[in-house]
Amino acid sequence: MSGRRVAVIGAGMTRFVRRAQETGKELSFLAASKALESAGITLADVDAVCLTSAPDAFDGVHRKGDYLSDGAGAWGKPFIRTYVGGGSGVFTPIQGWYTVASGIADVVLVVAEEKMSSCQPHPQGAFLTIFDNMIERPLGPNLLWIFALEMNRYMQAYGLDKRDIASVAVKNKRNAADHPSALLGEAEITVEDVLASETLAWPVQRLDVSPISDGAAAIVMASEDVASRLTDRPVWVQGVGWNLDTTYWTNRDLAYPQYVENAARMAYDMAGVTEPRKQIHVAEPYDPFDYKELHHLEGLLLFDRGTAPEAAAAGVTARDGDLPVCPSGGLLGVGNPIAAAGLMKVAELFWQLRGEAGARQVPGTPERGLAQAWGDLMQVGTVVVMGTEGGPSPTASAATPPVAPRATALREEAFRTAEGAVTIDELDLAYEWDAGEAIGAFLEALRDGRIVATVCTACGRTLVPPRVFCERCFRPTDSWTQVPDAGRVETFSICHVRWDMVPLDPPEIPAVIRLDGTSEGGFLHKLGGVEPDAVSIGMEVEAVWRPVGERTGSILDIAYFRPRRGDAR
Amino acid sequence: MFEAARRAYAEAEIDPRTQIDSFVCASEDLQEGTSIFDEYVPDQLGAVQRPVHTVASDGLFALATGVMLIRSGIADTVAVEAHSKASEMRTPGRLDAFATDPVLDRPLGTSALALAGLEMQRYLHVSGHTVADCAEVARRNREHALANPRASYAEAVDPAPLFDPLTREQAARSADGCVVVVLAADREGVAVEGVGWSQDAPSIQSRNWDRAVATERAGAMAYAQAGVAAGDVDLAEVDDTFAYKQLQHLDALGLAELSTDRVDPSGGALGEGYLHEGNGLARVLACVERLRRGEAEIALAQSWRGLPSTSAAVAILRGAA
Repeated sequence: MSGRRVAVIGAGMTRFVRRAQETGKELSFLAASKALESAGITLADVDAVCLTSAPDAFDGVHRKGDYLSDGAGAWGKPFIRTYVGGGSGVFTPIQGWYTVASGIADVVLVVAEEKMSSCQPHPQGAFLTIFDNMIERPLGPNLLWIFALEMNRYMQAYGLDKRDIASVAVKNKRNAADHPSALLGEAEITVEDVLASETLAWPVQRLDVSPISDGAAAIVMASEDVASRLTDRPVWVQGVGWNLDTTYWTNRDLAYPQYVENAARMAYDMAGVTEPRKQIHVAEPYDPFDYKELHHLEGLLLFDRGTAPEAAAAGVTARDGDLPVCPSGGLLGVGNPIAAAGLMKVAELFWQLRGEAGARQVPGTPERGLAQAWGDLMQVGTVVVMGTEGGPSPTASAATPPVAPRATALREEAFRTAEGAVTIDELDLAYEWDAGEAIGAFLEALRDGRIVATVCTACGRTLVPPRVFCERCFRPTDSWTQVPDAGRVETFSICHVRWDMVPLDPPEIPAVIRLDGTSEGGFLHKLGGVEPDAVSIGMEVEAVWRPVGERTGSILDIAYFRPRRGDAR
Repeated sequence: MFEAARRAYAEAEIDPRTQIDSFVCASEDLQEGTSIFDEYVPDQLGAVQRPVHTVASDGLFALATGVMLIRSGIADTVAVEAHSKASEMRTPGRLDAFATDPVLDRPLGTSALALAGLEMQRYLHVSGHTVADCAEVARRNREHALANPRASYAEAVDPAPLFDPLTREQAARSADGCVVVVLAADREGVAVEGVGWSQDAPSIQSRNWDRAVATERAGAMAYAQAGVAAGDVDLAEVDDTFAYKQLQHLDALGLAELSTDRVDPSGGALGEGYLHEGNGLARVLACVERLRRGEAEIALAQSWRGLPSTSAAVAILRGAA
């Protein structure tokens, strides 16, 4: 690695709240100001600004990065917004790292902001457009579906106990009770509370999920010479890694996040970490849902596959356990203003490694920690490894308390209507997407009651949904074939709420279905003609087609899949 | 994207699955109609299970990011991608309006495009340029585009007023397309000598209406890195989303005296078609082609993100000796 060494020298954040009175710019300003104050510098000392924020659809502002830039201190400075969905909050410090390591800047201000509450009637609306516009969006999927599908697959693959998974929500909400920024810190919560909470999309219950939130976080990063001039307690960036898997999320085994492992290995290699279980002393993996923390701990190679839940239930990952995990309280406890929540984890490492985490401080002297985030369509992992290289300097000044957070929480009842808010109803952007060669042919075949696939002879895979190129071999696919309209359930969920949290009765049953004759994974559709209780992973199903005259060349030409009765076509 | 990537990789004689260390893409969600467009890039770039990230910006910012990745030592070879599928966006005017401040500006119902009329009016007032000068830029760029096989609008002429004094023929029209550039640490060929980027105030209320100050700063940053002066540049591909912007950008870069046949010889966005966030990489591609043919030694590519943005980026490229 030829680049320069880079340190984190300051951190700050706002309170995380359900709906903030402040604008996104103002939240950015609050967090950025606190980070500069913590580093003991002013904006004049900053050479460049790195920013992130998740979908523009939350704010209803196109080119949100430009819009937020002055609040983030970027006026007249080199400024870029990087963006990898939910992984963004741990990606911006990577952006800060390469901006300094490359010699482009000596000091960068790294800001992550999210104001989800602007998106009404529910911020989940911003996620309706993350799905494939041809073959998924017509099914009406919402964000809960994919988490529920993944969680079910994870539980099934390793025979996991939901009680063990729920212990993560309990640990993190209890930890968050000690975080001054936290939205959902609860010192007394129990596993029974989690298991008794409302079922949203089975197996996901309300307390398995992190809250939607508004907030911002910021850090200051500096080159070695500047860092050593400004502080005697720099926290060094030792390793960075990021990795993006295929768009076809239904084509992979959702039980294990290979892309997180790839990102972790990249960061460990750079950091010289050969035995992560011994060399990582505190971890802040991404925990938007309780099972995700466990899934990620396994992907980060900190636990064997399928073993993290039992370890968590046994207290191994408690703040005073062998490997403290999410001592901040994580997204489940502190809150989940998406991009800001990721950077909050990096700020927590900064405070933990400097011994400044106050009531949240993990025992002993952690010398190296890891933060990780995840995002896109079950697809991206971002990892930062940080350390003090010998622990806090013996000459270190007395620990300063974490910066006092701000952000004005509006009353709960003001979540949907706030006095003084400006309402703009029409996010009435219209698009007309071309289906393209492969999906165009796929949809045309559906009209005829056939399911077609492409074949790559180099890797031997038969691909549904079809594509004109093989993403693994990076060459055109070779031929078309027809596959049966029957297969089996890879994973499923029973979804009791719509995207805007309006109850659904009867519930919907989304499923990933692998068709006979295809190579792996499957595609997203819904199950019907079956009682929710009777559905299981591995169940054989067949397509129920709409009448010929009603087909339009759409994924909806298959009405749903039902338990297999007759011979598949 | 697949087509552009395949051509770029074939030309670089490189296998993306094993020989590219990092991938950088440029896109904006609402332009695509997809939240988190980063989801939809890896497969067609040969980037599955590889380090990929998106910059929510123009492709020239992605190029600058690629340069940083290489200089940091974390990558030796980087693929940079930017594209436009603007034809799928049925309400482009409303999209531009969504880039203005939702509380202060949007309720006025003013088209973001009208800002171009306002800015052009002010630019003509302070620079001494005339409407005829701008019309000449549009005419010349379309003439340049006649020799460019990628150009879609070499012959388009429509003098209808748009936002006075701006006319339709002085505004670039959208096109679909994709550009992929492969950067490598130790290869012969066109060298990226300097990159710079900056922006002015996002707020319409507090930006500078006289000059393209973000381009001035971006240019100064890139010139300093490259160790070259404006007088050394013998080819410029600058943003000409609106004809007056070409003149304003040349002023900002100290290139107002550069011979007109050395400015946007590709035909620019007026002639080629406007690739939105792909525009910056289209300008880079046009420079690379001429540098490779030995028609210039030091080229400058510049982009501006379009209304109502003030963000701008610059790259200085040097031909192989």
